[in-house]
Amino acid sequence: MSAEKKSIYPDKPELQFENKRKFTNKREPLVDRENRKTVGQPTVENPRMSCLNVNVYYGDKQAIHDVTLDIGRNEVIAMIGPSGCGKSTFLRCLNRMNDTIDFCRLTGTILLDGKNIYDKDVDVVPLRAQVGMVFQKPNPFPKSIYENVAYGPKIHGLVQNRAETDEIVETSLRKAGLWEEVKDRLNQPGTSLSGGQQQRLCIARTIAVGPEVILMDEPCSALDPIATARIEDLIDELRENFSIAIVTHSMQQASRVSQRTAYFHLGDLIEVGSTDQVFLNPLHQLTEDYVTGRFG
Amino acid sequence: MDANMNPTMLLFTILLLSVMGFIMGRKRSYAVANQVGGMSNLHSRPTYYGSLTALWCAIPTLIIFSFWLLFESRIITDLVIATLPDQLQNLPADRLNLIVNDIRNMVNGNIVSSEPNPSMLAAAEHYRKLNSLSHASLTVIVIAVAIGAILVIQKTIHPKLRARNHVEQVIKYILIACSTIAIFTTIGIVLSVLYEAIRFFRIVPLSEFLTGLEWSPQMAIRADQVGSSGSFGVIPVFMGTMLISAIAMCVSVPIGLMSAIYLSEYANRTFRSVAKPLLEILAGIPTVVYGFFAALTVAPMIRNSGGVLGLDVSSESALAAGLVMGIMIIPFVSSLSDDVINAVPQSLRDGAYALGATQSETIRHVVIPAALPGIVGSVLLAVSRAIGETMIVVMAAGMSANLTLNPLKTVTTVTVQIVALLVGDQEFDSPKTLAAFALGLMLFVVTLILNVIALVVVRKYREQYE
Ligand SMILES: Nc1ncnc2c1ncn2[C@@H]1O[C@H](COP(=O)(O)OP(=O)(O)O)[C@@H](O)[C@H]1O
Ligand SMILES: [Mg+2]
Repeated sequence: MSAEKKSIYPDKPELQFENKRKFTNKREPLVDRENRKTVGQPTVENPRMSCLNVNVYYGDKQAIHDVTLDIGRNEVIAMIGPSGCGKSTFLRCLNRMNDTIDFCRLTGTILLDGKNIYDKDVDVVPLRAQVGMVFQKPNPFPKSIYENVAYGPKIHGLVQNRAETDEIVETSLRKAGLWEEVKDRLNQPGTSLSGGQQQRLCIARTIAVGPEVILMDEPCSALDPIATARIEDLIDELRENFSIAIVTHSMQQASRVSQRTAYFHLGDLIEVGSTDQVFLNPLHQLTEDYVTGRFG
Repeated sequence: MDANMNPTMLLFTILLLSVMGFIMGRKRSYAVANQVGGMSNLHSRPTYYGSLTALWCAIPTLIIFSFWLLFESRIITDLVIATLPDQLQNLPADRLNLIVNDIRNMVNGNIVSSEPNPSMLAAAEHYRKLNSLSHASLTVIVIAVAIGAILVIQKTIHPKLRARNHVEQVIKYILIACSTIAIFTTIGIVLSVLYEAIRFFRIVPLSEFLTGLEWSPQMAIRADQVGSSGSFGVIPVFMGTMLISAIAMCVSVPIGLMSAIYLSEYANRTFRSVAKPLLEILAGIPTVVYGFFAALTVAPMIRNSGGVLGLDVSSESALAAGLVMGIMIIPFVSSLSDDVINAVPQSLRDGAYALGATQSETIRHVVIPAALPGIVGSVLLAVSRAIGETMIVVMAAGMSANLTLNPLKTVTTVTVQIVALLVGDQEFDSPKTLAAFALGLMLFVVTLILNVIALVVVRKYREQYE
C-alpha cells in the first residue's frame, strides 16, 4: 500500500515554507474584532458529532462560551487559537475527559451519532472507546509495547484469547505506521521508543479499541520535524476510517492536515470554515490577525 | 586584666574580639574606599571586609583554644605525677589513677576518698598552680593572636582585596569541615563496632555465629562456676526479627498502601490536607508508648481471644509485637507511597481514562505499576525500620530465643538481645558482651543492604519520569 500512498508532504518540503506567505491577503475581513458571534459554517451535513450551545466553567470561571460546532464524518477538523483560549477544554468535552476535574461544569448538548453524551444514562467507559484521545506529550503506559496496545481491547472485552489480541495489536500498529519498526521488540517497554514512535504507539493504542472519533491535543508539539511529518501523514491516512479533531499551534500543520478549521479566541468560537477559506479569506478580523501572525 | 580568666569567659572574649574585628574591618574598608574616591572602587561590600576580619580573628583562636583544653589536663597530670614521691609513682596503674583522681578532687574542693597525706597535698597545690599558669598563658596567647589577626587584616585591607571571595572560600571550608565530622563519626562508629565484633569472632567463630541454631549467651564468668558454656548461634534470634518484621509488614504494607492510594487518588483536597498530617502523627508517637500499648493492651487481648479459640498463646507473643510494630510503620509506607503515587504524571492517568479505563482499573493497571519502584523503595525502608526497632520488641516480644515460625509463641529479636546483653554488670571483654557488637554489626549490614537496594530502586524510578 505504501507504493501509491499519497503523501501530503510533497517531495520538496521547502515549498511548505513558501506557502506560508499566501496566508496574507489584502482584502479586509467582513466582521470586526468586537463581534464575538461565530461566523462561517459551524454545521455540516450528517455530522458524526455535533455540539450545541456548549458552555464550560471551571468553578466560577467560564472557559467556553456558547460554542456550536459539528464534526463531520471522515474529516479532519483543526482547532487553532492563542494559548488559553479553550481549545483543550473544548476537545476534552467531546469524550467527557473533563469529568475527571471535579470543579468543571458543562451546559449544552454534545451529540455523538444523535445521542447526547451528557445524558444521565450514558456510561463514559464505552463513550471513551468510541471517542479516543491522543495527548500533547506521548504517554505510553509503563508496560511493553504489546501490552500498551492490547490494554484497551482487554479492558473493553474486545478480545477473548491471545490470537485475537495478537491480531488486533498488529493491525493497530500497522494502521499507526509503527509495525515495521517494532515488530521484533514488542516486549520492550513502550518508554524505550523515541518520542515520535511513542506518539504513534499512543495513536495505535487509541485505534485498537475501535473508536469513531479521535481527538488529538497538539500531538506533535513535543516532536521533531521528521516525526511530526510522519504523524501528519498518518493523520491524513486515518481520515479514511475516523473523524479527527486536532488542536494545533502550528498553522502550517492545520493547513496541511485539516479540511475544516475552527478558530477559538478567549473561549469564543470565532470562525469555522473550510481550511482554505479560514487561512486565505478569513471572514473575521480576529481570525485574520491570528493567521497572519499579528496575534498570539 | 585578671590572668585567671576561666575558659567560658575566654570564649566570650574571643567572640567579643571577633565582633570588634568585624566592626573595625568594616570601618577600615570605608576609610580606604574614601581615600581612593568612593565605595564603587571597593572590590567587595564593606560587610565582607568585616566578616573577613572576624573570621580570621575567630578561627585560629578557637582552634588554639580547643586544642589547648583538649590536652591541658593530660599534660598537667603527667607533670604532677612526675613530682610525686617514687613509692607512689611505682604503684600499679589503677591505683595511681585513684590517687590522681583524689588530687583532682582536692583541687576542685570535693570530698576525697582517702586520708590526705602531705605528698598528695603538695601535689594538689602543684596541680592548682600549673592549672592557673596554663589558663593564664592560654588567655594571653589567644588574646594576642586575636588582636594580631585583627591588626594584620586591617593592614591588608585595601580596595583591591577580594574579601568576598575569601569569605566565600572560608565558609565553604567550614561547611566541608562539618560534613567531614558527620561522615567520620559514622565511619568511627562502624569501625569500632567492627573491631569489637572481630574480637568476638576470635572467641566464637563466624561460621558458628551465623549457622548456630541455639542462642544462650549465659557463660560462666569464673572458671570454677557452674553454668552453661554459652552458645552463640544467631539463627533463632535473627528468625525472631524476621518473624516479627514479617508480621509488621503484613499489617503495614496493605494498610499503608491502600490509605496512600485513597489519599492520593480518591480523597478530595480538604480531606487529604487533614488526613495526611494525622497519619504522620502516628510516626511521631514515641516507640516506648507503642511498646507498653503492645505489652499491656494488645498482648493480653491476643492471649484472651486465643484462649477462646482454644489456642495456646504465650503472654509475650511475636504476634502482639508485630501487630503494634506494623501500626507504627503504617505512616512510613503510606507517606512515601503517597508521594510516589502523586509523582506519577497526570498524563498517564489521562491516557488510561481516555481509553475508557475506570478509576480502579487506571490505578491498578497504570498508576501502581508506574509507581511500583518507588513503592518498593518505601516498603524496603519500612522493613529496615522494622528490623532496627527496639522498644516495642523489648517490651512485648520476650527474651527466650525460640526457633519457631509460630507467631503465637514468644520469640526474641536481635535488638532485644543486644539490650539484654548490655544491661547489667558485665565484664567488657567477655564473649557475652562482645556478642552484642556482633549482633549490632549484623543488624547494621542487613539494614544497610536494604537501604542501598531501596535507594537504587527509588533512583531508577526517578530517572524514568524526569
Ligand atoms: N484544570 C483547570 N482548572 C482551572 N482552569 C483551567 C483548567 N484547565 C484549563 N483552565 C482554564 O481554561 C482556559 C482554557 O484553557 P485550555 O483549554 O487549556 O486552553 P488551550 O488549550 O487553548 O491553551 C484557560 O484560561 C485556563 O486557565
Ligand atoms: Mg491546550
